[in-house]
Amino acid sequence: MSRQPIIEIRELTKIYKGAEEPAVNSISLDIFPNEIFGLLGPNGAGKTTTISILCGLFPATKGSVMIDGIDSHTNLEKIKQIIGVVPQDIALYPTLTGRENLTFFGNMYGIYGSELRDRINHYLSEFGLEKHANKVVGKYSGGMKRRVNLIAGLLHGPKILFLDEPTVGIDVQSRLVILEYLKEINKKGVTIVYTSHYMEEAENLCNRVAIIDRGNIIALGNPKELLEGKPEFKNLENIFIHLTGKDMRD
Amino acid sequence: MLFIMPAVLILISSMMQEFAWGSLAKDSSIPVLFVDNDHDSLGTKVKSGFSGSDAFQIIDSLDHKPLTTVMAKNAVKKGDYLIAIVVPKGATATMRANVRLSVAKVLAGFGMGNPMLVNGISFRDSINVTIFFDPTVKKAFKNAVISSVRENYYRIQTEWVFQNFNQEIAIQMPMYKPPKEAFKEILKFREEYPTYREVELIPNSSQHNVPAWTIFAMFFIVIPLTQSLIQEREGGSLFRLLTMPVSYMTLVMAKVGVYLVVCLTQTAAMLVAGIVLLPLFGLPMLVIGDEIPALFVMTLMVSMAAVGYGLMVGTVFKTHQQAAAFGSISVIILAAIGGLWVPIYLMPASMRALSLLSPMNWAITGYYSIFLRGGDLWQVAPQAIKLLLFFLSTVIITAVYHKYKRPVNS
Repeated sequence: MSRQPIIEIRELTKIYKGAEEPAVNSISLDIFPNEIFGLLGPNGAGKTTTISILCGLFPATKGSVMIDGIDSHTNLEKIKQIIGVVPQDIALYPTLTGRENLTFFGNMYGIYGSELRDRINHYLSEFGLEKHANKVVGKYSGGMKRRVNLIAGLLHGPKILFLDEPTVGIDVQSRLVILEYLKEINKKGVTIVYTSHYMEEAENLCNRVAIIDRGNIIALGNPKELLEGKPEFKNLENIFIHLTGKDMRD
Repeated sequence: MLFIMPAVLILISSMMQEFAWGSLAKDSSIPVLFVDNDHDSLGTKVKSGFSGSDAFQIIDSLDHKPLTTVMAKNAVKKGDYLIAIVVPKGATATMRANVRLSVAKVLAGFGMGNPMLVNGISFRDSINVTIFFDPTVKKAFKNAVISSVRENYYRIQTEWVFQNFNQEIAIQMPMYKPPKEAFKEILKFREEYPTYREVELIPNSSQHNVPAWTIFAMFFIVIPLTQSLIQEREGGSLFRLLTMPVSYMTLVMAKVGVYLVVCLTQTAAMLVAGIVLLPLFGLPMLVIGDEIPALFVMTLMVSMAAVGYGLMVGTVFKTHQQAAAFGSISVIILAAIGGLWVPIYLMPASMRALSLLSPMNWAITGYYSIFLRGGDLWQVAPQAIKLLLFFLSTVIITAVYHKYKRPVNS
C-alpha cells in the first residue's frame, strides 16, 4: 500500500449555525489509495457531515481537505470528476425507471450515447437488475433501490467512492451483492470510504476504520489491530460500545 | 391536468362572465317579480323596460294568480326569487300631477295661465317604487336594477314635461301648433374601442378571460415546481446532483428550461381552447391577432416570471406543506391584487398602488395590450422588461438562499 495518502484531512472542523458544539471537531486523517476505509459512529457523530465536506457539498468551518493531491478549496470541480457518491437516502427519481435514472445521472457526468448504454447494461447485469430496468423506481423493493443507488455512483468509473450507509434497511441477499461488488471494485483500484452502523460488516469489509463520536476521532486503525491485546473485547462492536457508551443517541 | 384544468377554468369563467354581461341566451336570464299596482304609464314603461332586457325575465303572476305586494315580498323572503319590483298605486297620477304643476309654474313666470292659482299649490309627496332584494344579491347587481328603474322613470318624466309644455302653450297661444314628435332623445351613445390597429377590436369575455386565466394557470406552476424541488432535496437527489461536476446554477437553469416548456405548452393549449373550445359553447372566439412576436415574447416573460417564482418558493420553504400553502395562496393574492379578477380601476387607491407591484398585473397589462389594443412588441416592452427583471431577482434570491441558508441537508 502506497504511503502517499489519496485523501488528506487536516484539522477539519464544521460548526453549524446556531449549534452549541461542532459537528466535526478538528479531525485529521489520511486515507490511502486502494483502502476500504470505514467511518463508524453513533447517530449524530459527524460521519455524514465529514463525508459531505469531502464530497464538496458544503465548506468546512476550518481545516483543509486534499483529494488525490487536489485542494478542495481551489479545485472542487476537478475533485467531483474523480469521486463517486452513494448517499444514505435513495437519491433517485421515483417516477423514472431504473434505466432512465441511470441515464440521467450518467449524462450529468458527461457520458452519453452507446458508451453510457453499455455501462448501464453492464451494471444492471452485475447487480441482477436487467429485468427491472424499465420499471419505475417507485415500485422497486428496498434492496433494488439500494443497488440502483450504488450503480448511479459508479457509472463514471470513480477513483474514490464515498458510501454513506449503503446497506441500511435491505435484505441479506442485496447486502451480500453490494458488499461483494465493493470488494471487487476495490481490487480493481477504487478507494472506498464508507460509513455504517453495522460493525460486523465494517469489520469484515474495511482495511481500516475510524470510530468517530461527537465530532472527534476516538479510535483509528485496522479492526484486528484495534482488538489486539484487549481480550475483554470479542469484536469491533464491543470496542465501539466501550468507546461510545450505551446511551442512546438522537 | 396542467393542460386540461386551465382549459376548463377558461370555459367556465367565460360562460359565467358572459352570463353576467347578459349577452347569453334568454333562458339564462334572471327572473324578476313585478307587481304593477299603478296600472298606468309608469308601471307599463318599467315593465316593458325590463322585458326588453335579455338579462331579466319579468314574472307578474304566481300559481296563475296575479302577483300582489305580499306575495312578491314572501317569495323573495323565502329565497325563491332574487328581486321583486313593486310600482305603487297612483304612481303615474302623482308623477303626472307634479309634472303638470311644474310646467304651469314655469309658464306662470311668463305670465301665461293664472299665476295666483298655481303659486298656491304645492307638489305632491314623492312616490316610492319598492324593490325587494334577496340578501344574497351583490351590490353591483342591485345597482344595475335600481339604475334600470330610474332610467325608465326619467324617460317618462321627460316625455311628459314636453307633452305638458306643448299642451299648455297650445291652450295659451291658439296659433301654436305642437310638433308631431313631442320629444326625441338626442343623446345617444356610440361605443368605440381605440386600438393600435386599423381594424377595431371589440372586447368580449373571451378576450378578457383567456389571458387572465392563462396567467393564473401559468403561475400555478409553482405547485408542481416546488414539489419537485422539495422532493429532490428531501429524497437526496439534490445531494447526489451537487456531488457531480455541475454547478448549482446549471441545475437551476435546467429546471427553468423544463418548466418553461411546460408553461409555454400550457399557454398554447389555453389559446387553442379560446379559439376552438369556447365557440363550441356559444361563447365568442378568442382573436389572437397578428402580433405573434409580441405574444410570444410576453408569454415567454410571463412563463419565466412564474417559473422563477416557483424556484424561489421551492428553495426558501422547507416542506411540501409550507410551499404548497404559501405557493397557492400567494398566487391567489397576486392574482387578486394584480387585477385578474377585479379590474384595477375599480380598486381603491391603496390597492391600485399595490397592484402595480404584482407581476400578474404586468402580465395582464401586457396581454391586454396585445389582445384588446392590438399592441406590438414595442407596446408590451415595459411589461416584458419588468417580468424579466422579476425572473432575474427570483433566480438571484434562489442562488443566494441556497448558498447561505440551505446547502442540502445541513
